[in-house]
Amino acid sequence: MAPTGGVSGPLQFYCTAGRGLEPFLTEEVRLKLAASDVSSMTGKVFFTTSAPIRAVVGLRSAERLFLLLEKRAPPSGILSSGQAGRLIQESIVADHSQWTHGLRLWRSLRRSLGEPDTDTSIPRRGQKRKQQEGECSDRDNSQKGQDPESMGSTVSEEAYSLPQTPYLVEDDPNTSHSLPVTFRVSCHCSGPVARRFSSQDLGRLIGSTISKQLCWRVDLRAPDLEVNVHLSDDRCVTGLPLLRLPLAHRSYIRTTGLRSTVAWAMASVAEIKPGSLVLDPMCGVGAVLLEAAKEYQNAFFVGTDIDESQLMKASENVQFAQLSDSIELMRSSVNAISLPPCSVDAVVCDVPFGRKFGSRADAAASLPAAVKEMERVLRVNGVLVLLLSPQLSVLLGKTLSSRPPVENLRDKPEGTPTPPLLSLQLCSSHRVGLGATDAIIHKYRKGPPPHQ
Amino acid sequence: MKLLTHNMLTSHVKGVTRGYPLLIKATEVKVSEVEFNPQFVSRMIPKLEWSALVQAAEGLGHLNDLPAELVPGYENNEEFLRKVHRVLLEVEVMEGSLRCPESGREFPISRGIPNMLLNEDEA
Repeated sequence: MAPTGGVSGPLQFYCTAGRGLEPFLTEEVRLKLAASDVSSMTGKVFFTTSAPIRAVVGLRSAERLFLLLEKRAPPSGILSSGQAGRLIQESIVADHSQWTHGLRLWRSLRRSLGEPDTDTSIPRRGQKRKQQEGECSDRDNSQKGQDPESMGSTVSEEAYSLPQTPYLVEDDPNTSHSLPVTFRVSCHCSGPVARRFSSQDLGRLIGSTISKQLCWRVDLRAPDLEVNVHLSDDRCVTGLPLLRLPLAHRSYIRTTGLRSTVAWAMASVAEIKPGSLVLDPMCGVGAVLLEAAKEYQNAFFVGTDIDESQLMKASENVQFAQLSDSIELMRSSVNAISLPPCSVDAVVCDVPFGRKFGSRADAAASLPAAVKEMERVLRVNGVLVLLLSPQLSVLLGKTLSSRPPVENLRDKPEGTPTPPLLSLQLCSSHRVGLGATDAIIHKYRKGPPPHQ
Repeated sequence: MKLLTHNMLTSHVKGVTRGYPLLIKATEVKVSEVEFNPQFVSRMIPKLEWSALVQAAEGLGHLNDLPAELVPGYENNEEFLRKVHRVLLEVEVMEGSLRCPESGREFPISRGIPNMLLNEDEA
């Protein structure tokens, strides 16, 4: 289906996602974009949607957004055959019309997003070297497309407006985009395939194939667009990035704290409803509150922290994000939250892991009492969402699951009482990546108080 | 600090049984416009300690004609919800303090942020 004028009809996209966030993104595209054909692999979620592009770029748990060109199995024999390179060359641009159609869609979507036709995300180095790239008819030059340096010459701005022939094999006579295309390939290999090819070699191979078959021109320094290829042993995914900045970049956050996508994921499981009161008792610079308050505009959020400098940054963040109407801050210790029992609908907390603040031992020792206090202010059936390091997860799991017999309680050393936390029932756990480390999002529900 | 937040705040000074409601002493009060959301306000009302809200609003001179008793059928009473909205969300104490009714402990409010932190010997 060739869209006319603007872009209409269902389109295929994929987003990259941080480690462990694929389930959240899957859920989000289904809910917000009424997406169909949703599938995921490690680090990526594929979906088809007719939702307006503005809605698609509103996704909160994704890293980057791509228009899908092709997703299929890699050529068979890619691992065994000595002809792997030739196989890739033959199969990468299997269907010309798909690529030219994809390019038109990409341009149209970029225009509706107010993004320039030329991808300015790509750093333009060597602007002074205005060395005109040979025209497409020079493509027999075997050097071209083989040597990245010869491909990397910078095209002057004027070159974009120079009509050159041949350019694209257009199948839609109404199209108005008939400029030559400059591109570069960003290639990523994973799995056994990665042992055969380096990403650079493969990128070069694919780049030369595209330039030969489609007459798009390779330009490493200032291309119009970037073609992303991810080749793994079971899939070959090709797509065009749609935005300059990652979706995970939040224009409304001044001082960043916890990764925004993880903060959003925490809020997304907290069952925040219109009129909910939500507390973050260790809010830091407010990362979780900001994501939650942006997403759930009919709820009210209270953030507390013991550290005044963190609170000042949180306050700046709240004002910068224009969320002062729904987020309030106060200084308070997590061990003595100034709220009555059973007063809030949800508690969300990125528990410091003891690296930034205090020591690991402190974090471990103070965790049960802190969670006990969170449980106190939470109403029955309310939800507690904690982000914990793997170590603290194990520790809390032990505290929650084991209720030592009364006689054992007496044997406990002074100062480490086992708090009765049995009213917290674990609903789900999600392991997510935080850069170099992992953390686990635990969701608990507060049940009725245990009978004594 | 909005009066909605104040409505929830309790003092946890050692020995205090019901440190509620905290008495507001304000030296600077700001009234800023907040978008009216009737659904939010009507869902918030059942969670409020009504008398504490009225008392706090009156103390600040921003009672805004709030009745001493909650009116029945308020969900569909836009005029009433607007009054509550104003008191709950638009009136803010920027500078001042909160006083625990039992222990007399004062908690300062600075730049709109109450400091409820207790000393070690108080907790």
